[in-house]
Amino acid sequence: MDNHIAIQVKNLVKNFGKGENSVKVIEGASFEINKGEVVALIAPSGAGKTTLLMMIGCVLEPTSGEIWLGEERVYHDKWLIQDTRKIRREKIGFIFQAHYLIPFLNIMENVTLVSLAKGASEKEAKKKAMELLEYLEIADKANNMTSQLSGGQNQRVAIARALANNPQIILADEPTAALDGERSISVIKMLKKVAREQNVAIITVTHDERILPYCDKIMKIENRTVVFHELDEKIV
Amino acid sequence: MINLAKRDIQHTLGKFIVTAMGVGMLLGIVLIMIGVYRGMMVEVEILLNDIGADIWIVQENTLGPFAESSRVHKDLRDTLYIINGIQKSEAITFQNIQLPHKDKPIRVVAVGYDIYGTIIPIKQERLIKGRELKNDRYEIVVSDKTGFDVGEEIKLGRNLYKVVGIVSKSVSNGGDPLVYFSLKDAQELQFSYSNKEIQNNEARGIKNSESDMVNAIVATVKDGYDIDAIADDIAKWQHKSVYTADEQKTILTKNLIEKSSKQIGLFTVILVIVSTIIIALIIYTMTLEKMKEIAIMKLIGLPNSLIIEMIVKETLLLGVLAFIFGNIFSHLIYDKFPKLVVLQIPDAWILFGVVLIASILASFVGVKKVISADPAAAIGG
Repeated sequence: MDNHIAIQVKNLVKNFGKGENSVKVIEGASFEINKGEVVALIAPSGAGKTTLLMMIGCVLEPTSGEIWLGEERVYHDKWLIQDTRKIRREKIGFIFQAHYLIPFLNIMENVTLVSLAKGASEKEAKKKAMELLEYLEIADKANNMTSQLSGGQNQRVAIARALANNPQIILADEPTAALDGERSISVIKMLKKVAREQNVAIITVTHDERILPYCDKIMKIENRTVVFHELDEKIV
Repeated sequence: MINLAKRDIQHTLGKFIVTAMGVGMLLGIVLIMIGVYRGMMVEVEILLNDIGADIWIVQENTLGPFAESSRVHKDLRDTLYIINGIQKSEAITFQNIQLPHKDKPIRVVAVGYDIYGTIIPIKQERLIKGRELKNDRYEIVVSDKTGFDVGEEIKLGRNLYKVVGIVSKSVSNGGDPLVYFSLKDAQELQFSYSNKEIQNNEARGIKNSESDMVNAIVATVKDGYDIDAIADDIAKWQHKSVYTADEQKTILTKNLIEKSSKQIGLFTVILVIVSTIIIALIIYTMTLEKMKEIAIMKLIGLPNSLIIEMIVKETLLLGVLAFIFGNIFSHLIYDKFPKLVVLQIPDAWILFGVVLIASILASFVGVKKVISADPAAAIGG
């Protein structure tokens, strides 16, 4: 398998319910995303964006198909690794619509949490977290609580947390939905920078057309399957 | 690893402490309930221990003056000396009376004893002011709970009684304060009728022949003699009911306060169950409030054990903190209760164990919620 590929999905199917009541949500989706790419996932509400995101994120079990994360096949008609949480901990980073940081932990602790759970020493986890916070230009807030930061600053912390476990892929669920135009652009630029410099593939669900020019590809769900669209305008 | 429980509690410290104080007050009531029971057990034995008799001789087929009416002749105390092994023997009276006081009368138990006798029911260590009875007429020693002071006079029946001494922690098995009279005064109070009553009785041919009765004869036995054997001898010979000190204690604890202690025990068990349910509900609510965070933690790959550890630690800390508050609360209020409340360290430790078990049980509801939390809930808003 090409080692530039961060994620590969083959003939992925997801049905909800069984028998006559079965509802097909994703039907034979196949695609691959390279490391360093930012891909926007767009579709009308109810088309299956979140379902697809949850399957790629090893949160929701598909009905059939294959999912490869890097060079490791994690799903082939069943989970090939029993502890899907371990896959998430080691290979995937998540960014949410709201920042969803843990409110009772400070910024540094929020970022170190995943590394520590992964088995890193406190010193290593803190070093890595500080590097990420510096990289995302928010290191001066390391000891602040999330309530003391603005929405945009918290979203940057969320990006730092998503990067803390050196993921191959970051799944972002409308990361700019709660931000105004200027901050939305700032966040997508940040994600693009992260994708390029950290060699991470980013799939971002979005309804925000302002950020599309900053993405490398646009992935749409049409007729229950995934299709790629060319960008009208692209900002490199 | 980050101590999630510590951070979460620090984040909502005020709320956590107020919650612990609320549960603590409930646990404080549990301690007070146990203390009331202990107090009852102590009060039951105060008079028995102060008199210190080995044998109690009471009216035949009765359980004695603490349980039911008992009348025996006073001269039996002298007759008892015929029995080999009897060391001391005295006549005692007990009766409930009302002492007139400023606002409302005070219910007390009056103990009558021979002030020149060999068995004195007033222990020196209980006397906190004044003196014992020295004259066999018109003197009274009262409990400090009655509110009387030395030198005051109390009108009872036909006579005035001068307070000569104050005792403390001197209560009957029912928790009423004790007062002490000379045997003569006590007999007069209990058995003498008014002039009109005597005239009425005489008109009916009834002679007032009870002036030399008492409620019990108490005796001590010389070393080396079998108390039970002597008690049996007296019972057969004098047609009286005779109880050893242990039997009298059993009558008091089993027959008189058993129901009360069972009632208190049941209340205590119910309170502990209620406390457990309340802790469980609090933990459940605290867990519900964190469901979004728990879903995120599960989504980003944190193992269940870390999240469960947070819930269990928080529950245990809530229990321990509530226990500490409960102890402080009970120690602040225990002496405000009208009856004796005895707080004992072993009881507190037992409650601590119960609280720990209750907290662990209560944490199960939070843990169950954590296990069932869906990480997908963090995605999709």
